[in-house]
Amino acid sequence: MTVHNLYLFDRNGACLHYSEWNRKKQAGISKDEEYKLMYGMLFSIRSFVNKMSPLDMKDGFLTFQTSKYKLHYYETPSQIKRSFCILFRRESCLVTLHCPVTPIYVEYVVKNPLCSMSEAIQSDLFCSKLDSFVRGLPFFSARAG
Amino acid sequence: RMADEALFQFLHNELIQYVYRSAEQGEMENGRCITRLENMGFRVGQGLIERFTKDTARFKDELDVMKFICKDFWTSVFKKQIDNLRTNHQGIYVLQDNKFRLLAQMSGGKQYLEHAPKYLAFSCGLVRGGLSNLGVKSIVTAEVSAMPACKCLFIYA
Repeated sequence: MTVHNLYLFDRNGACLHYSEWNRKKQAGISKDEEYKLMYGMLFSIRSFVNKMSPLDMKDGFLTFQTSKYKLHYYETPSQIKRSFCILFRRESCLVTLHCPVTPIYVEYVVKNPLCSMSEAIQSDLFCSKLDSFVRGLPFFSARAG
Repeated sequence: RMADEALFQFLHNELIQYVYRSAEQGEMENGRCITRLENMGFRVGQGLIERFTKDTARFKDELDVMKFICKDFWTSVFKKQIDNLRTNHQGIYVLQDNKFRLLAQMSGGKQYLEHAPKYLAFSCGLVRGGLSNLGVKSIVTAEVSAMPACKCLFIYA
């Protein structure tokens, strides 16, 4: 069980940040196309789930799962949406992921006057803090299963 | 209390952006922006020191004043203690803070280094204002070689 990669999107679909840790297979398309594909999918699933829900829903789309990995999606009320791709495991690790990336983002991007909130994140400090955080997660392992 | 710190940080950052934006429109040079920020800090520092010392006893000498600035004043304003203080005993002091609060979110090394002086100007003024109201005329400058550590140089006039 591990963390494979992480995408951070803003409200308009621009990819602010992408990191990968254990990605054995690439998508075979350019990075820009990949971001568009990921965002498009998230956007579509979100509206699909909201529309077709037989009950009133609070959070909406949270995760999808395949035989090999599980994708977790988290959205903040403000601009940013984020999604993670994580290897399948029985228990949901969403609870632990809810809090952590937001504080890192707020601390090192929002509070950095030289980082514009609508552009791709260029702060090295943010990248390194995010990286140490993910590597420190209890379910992270350096080798993909 | 945590909200206060965030509020000041956001305000401080926006202040700097504002001064520089107005400068672009009014055709002011870069150096004048730094001076403007330093002067703002100076006036704030004067007020702050009055507030901090209203119940304190008089300081007996220059060294006492420096100790107050470096311990109580710095800790109250920047929420942490300084890491080192050196002097040549002839009016020059060098203060070192290895994790300066206003630079800690910016970078962990050399990235954005060229912008650091803008984000130190207000704080230099702040300390200079504090010293001024304690009767000490000084020049206060700061230098950064790798964020978030910074060295603050005091030269007593």
